[in-house]
Amino acid sequence: MDFQTKVYRNDTSGLYLWVSYIKPMVDIETVARSIFPYLFHRPFSSLEDIRQALPIDDAYISSDPNDVKAKLLEGYLFVRLHETDETGLLIKAQKTLERTLTIPEVEFSVVGPKESFIESLETNLYLLRKRIPIDRLTVKMTRVGTLSKTKVAVVYIDGIANPDNVQTVLQRIEQVEFDEMIDSSYIVQIISDNRHSPFPQLLDTERPDRVAAVLAEGKVAIMVDGSPHVLIGPTTLVEFFSSFEDYFLNWTIASFFRLIRLFSVTFSILITPIYVATLNYHYELIPKDLLGTLITSRREIPFPPILEVLFLELTIELLREAGARLPTKVGQTIGIVGGIVIGTASVEAGLTSNVLLILVALAALASFTTPVYKIGNTIRLMRFPFILFAEMWGLLGVAFCFCIVMTHLLYLTSLGRPFLAPLYPPRWRDLKDAFIRLPFTSQSKRPETLRTEQPIRFNRKKAKEKRDIDE
Amino acid sequence: MASVAERLQVSPFMTFFVIVSMQIGVGVLGFQRVIAKTAGHDAWISVLLAGASSHLILIVLYWLLQQADGDFLLLHQRLFGRWVGGALSSLLALYFAAMAFVVLRTYIEVIQVWMFPDLKTWEFSLAFLFLCLYITVGGFRVVVGIYFFCLIIPSYLLFTFWFVLDYTDFYQLLPILDHPPSTIVKAAKQMTLTMLGYETILLFYPFIKRGNQSAKWAHAALLTTTLFYALLTVLTLAYFSEKQLQRQIWPTLTMWKMVELPFIERFEYIGIANWLLIILPNVCLGLWCSSRICKQLFPVRQKTALLVIAAICFFSTLLIHDRKEVDFVNTILNRVGFYFLYIWIPCLAGITYIVKKVRGNV
Repeated sequence: MDFQTKVYRNDTSGLYLWVSYIKPMVDIETVARSIFPYLFHRPFSSLEDIRQALPIDDAYISSDPNDVKAKLLEGYLFVRLHETDETGLLIKAQKTLERTLTIPEVEFSVVGPKESFIESLETNLYLLRKRIPIDRLTVKMTRVGTLSKTKVAVVYIDGIANPDNVQTVLQRIEQVEFDEMIDSSYIVQIISDNRHSPFPQLLDTERPDRVAAVLAEGKVAIMVDGSPHVLIGPTTLVEFFSSFEDYFLNWTIASFFRLIRLFSVTFSILITPIYVATLNYHYELIPKDLLGTLITSRREIPFPPILEVLFLELTIELLREAGARLPTKVGQTIGIVGGIVIGTASVEAGLTSNVLLILVALAALASFTTPVYKIGNTIRLMRFPFILFAEMWGLLGVAFCFCIVMTHLLYLTSLGRPFLAPLYPPRWRDLKDAFIRLPFTSQSKRPETLRTEQPIRFNRKKAKEKRDIDE
Repeated sequence: MASVAERLQVSPFMTFFVIVSMQIGVGVLGFQRVIAKTAGHDAWISVLLAGASSHLILIVLYWLLQQADGDFLLLHQRLFGRWVGGALSSLLALYFAAMAFVVLRTYIEVIQVWMFPDLKTWEFSLAFLFLCLYITVGGFRVVVGIYFFCLIIPSYLLFTFWFVLDYTDFYQLLPILDHPPSTIVKAAKQMTLTMLGYETILLFYPFIKRGNQSAKWAHAALLTTTLFYALLTVLTLAYFSEKQLQRQIWPTLTMWKMVELPFIERFEYIGIANWLLIILPNVCLGLWCSSRICKQLFPVRQKTALLVIAAICFFSTLLIHDRKEVDFVNTILNRVGFYFLYIWIPCLAGITYIVKKVRGNV
């Protein structure tokens, strides 16, 4: 039984105290150091005296049994003067054990701050507030989950964020019906606009600097206690391909890397279907010299291209899944064994061609360039319908599947805002931070898609200085 | 009836994309032969004439829309009464549905000749119509999104005509205007099938925010298409000799054979695959317009009407078997479109004007 009630006697005044608490939740050191000396050695005649004498700020007198129950479960002490009293003093003595602040694992950046969120909501709010030390940073707390009673904080900057966006988020979180809310990704899946789509509609990040930057743009952040990932919305498709490191580099370099990333994603999705399509139906498309290499590489393969491709794609997926489940030491060996040995051996055995191996490996590598983990999964999934359509109708099938994907993207919304902005509906000004990143002096307006209340960030004329020659 | 919720409307700039994309359809692949047969190397003048006339018709269309407060079907009803007006509107619905199915069938024929001779018509038609249903069920905003992307993404095909320039001889265009004007006008009439598409503005006008400001974008769209077609005609006439041109059913596709890239040998496959993106919005808007008219005339939901019309289109594509029949339906659609736009619309405008004078307001 971890719920304990002990009787203590105060030395000075002679009163007895009944102290109740739930042992695992209470920090014994705090209690011994900061609470018991005041309880047992200071003179007092009522609970109010104790409250005023204690150095703990969160202490109050309560007689509501539900409140007492909830607070006991959180790790408060309940002090009463008589055993049958209903009124008592609740004193905060929670045990706070959490991870130390570490570097972000998923969104690591070479330059820039290396702090990442941890599981405790208080620390996360601290990390955020120290980056936006203004009073308009509003935090709305609520509890979600009937069993877990998880604290969820909706954060936005009042006066910049559009009240409609905030209202949508708050309303949807109110309506969540779930029992055990473990992580922010549960919330994403429940409050997303289009639950059945493989595309994520809310961005999740573990960097406080990213959250601070997007809050300044006018977005809304959702923080969940127990989850190091913070959700940001409304978001658009192009944001899933922008890493936060782009903002730390020079804009020309950053734009170049973004374009490479976009190209690699397109390459990753389309290269294997094009391989299947051209080898099955359109071998006249390939120039003669390349055709020679391809035919030589496929000379001994007993399978049609589609089976080769599916075999290799599934092998790579198996490797990835296995590598994710194995403990680190074993995982490295298996990764090398799987990658190199299986690949080389299958070429030498004549099961796959070496050209295809290179293409599939490159495509898999290219799919990992996405900075956000969730969209990387989507891209790997997208490849398979393209391959199937390419098998049916060749290049026409690829174009057809592309139309299907494009239509699906057109249907998606993120918190009610179109998902494909700034492409469609075209918001030309927002393109300054979509595929390329223009320098900070050009970014004087907030994104139009968010419909913020205050679109101007800073005075553009002051930011740019004009100098004549030799002045 | 004509007011549509603001969240379903699109900005007037989108009118440009809708009209350009609607006009550039499957006709681009083969229109040059038809007009060159009549007007010879002066065919480009016919194109410009057809374009100029389309501007005039668009002005009349906008005037009619403003008289009817954005609801064209209401105009039919007010002028001719409920039954006759309803019959006229249903003919319009039939016309749009026919447009959708003719475009689809012509494209399938192109695929069957150039890419996959044993592609079954019903397979592709079924899949394509399912895709169109998926798009149109999303509403007008999704349809316009498709228009936008399906114009921007294939626009790189314009650069492929650079490769043809090496083989052109612009002196073939001279002497200018040595054909009698009647032939040039006749060729302009034949050109109108390719230029058709902007009559759909009659149906989607209520879906444009600040509709009266969309006129400038619509005219810009017509100008762009006219210039594009004129340039393409000039290029075709300079590349092919007249007799050669008469033997090509799809001169544009033949011109794509000239494209030489280091990693692609036969570019026309890529061109035809991209052409799917160009005709997709045409079929979608045909289905959408047709089902919307049905929704306003009969007590059916737009989704039901859409399904029925898509099914009718599917079965119609199965009925057309070879080149002659495709040609035949294309010619009929051309005639109907021409009579609708160039004869019926001006008559309607005249009647509206008279009625307005007499009654004071339509």
